[in-house]
Amino acid sequence: MDSNDSQVIVSETTDKGFLRELIEANLTRRLIPKGLSWFGCMGGLSLVAFIIQLSTGIFLMFYFIPNIRESLASIQHVSHSVPYGWLIQRIHAIGPHIMVGMVFSHMLRILFKGIYRHPRELHWVSGACLLILTLLMYYTGSLLTAHNINGHHPIHLTRIYAIHVAGIPLSMALFMGIHFFMVRKTGICESL
Amino acid sequence: MKDYTKNKSPEMLEPFSPNELFRHIIVSCFLVVVELIAIIIFPLPFKLTSKPDYVPWFLLPLYKLNKLIHSEVVFISLVVVCALLFVSWPYLIPNGTGEHHNLWQRPIPFAIVIITITSVITVCILNL
Repeated sequence: MDSNDSQVIVSETTDKGFLRELIEANLTRRLIPKGLSWFGCMGGLSLVAFIIQLSTGIFLMFYFIPNIRESLASIQHVSHSVPYGWLIQRIHAIGPHIMVGMVFSHMLRILFKGIYRHPRELHWVSGACLLILTLLMYYTGSLLTAHNINGHHPIHLTRIYAIHVAGIPLSMALFMGIHFFMVRKTGICESL
Repeated sequence: MKDYTKNKSPEMLEPFSPNELFRHIIVSCFLVVVELIAIIIFPLPFKLTSKPDYVPWFLLPLYKLNKLIHSEVVFISLVVVCALLFVSWPYLIPNGTGEHHNLWQRPIPFAIVIITITSVITVCILNL
């Protein structure tokens, strides 16, 4: 065995050790306070609802054409011709109502419990920004279909589409990063 | 990462996996089931129909406010001010001391929140 082979083995062993340490520290050996409320899962549910919206939205991006003449036809094509397209489209349409409901319940619980206090002010700020962005996301999404149906709105479909699929999701990813970083740093409120 | 084991006996702690992870998986499955039931209850019409008056429940307060205030500039300014107040809420309300952490134990912030929520619901329900 030459020195290069031994270096590769040491590197792989270190990588496996690092990965195992990461999983054990964050998952298998991690301890949390006992008796956390089931209502504490509302934040996690908002994330699940967002992931559902993101995955169905990516699917619809392959078929939707942000063009005044072709957009209505592309929506109809997904509904009637693409296998399970109707289901994906329906999930994407129903999802915002559930997602906003989850975010509202999460924020009301935080508000009434007073969990936004020091040192968790930034949790509230990032969460409130995420709620506003969620509402904007719905609004831009509804403009896409409303424009298709009415056909005479003087709005730029391509710009609204770009804001809906790239601008707002990227901003949301940024605020989510801040939110999760702060939650990891300060921890959840233990007096639940 | 926050260490929850500090100043705590082992009886006060539980493992994250599987306890908390399982709790999250159960509620996530419940969410998916709710979403699928909603799809069955509200099916997609065969042809897309124009519904210009349709406003979702969570945008109803903004829609009503827009109807009440005729000036676009005043409406947008008011919405921006409300959004800023909402975002900066923890910095506007002083921290409660001692046991007074919950909102209902602090009369002034509690009154502000309840009056705001009640007025929003009233405006939406009464169709003003």
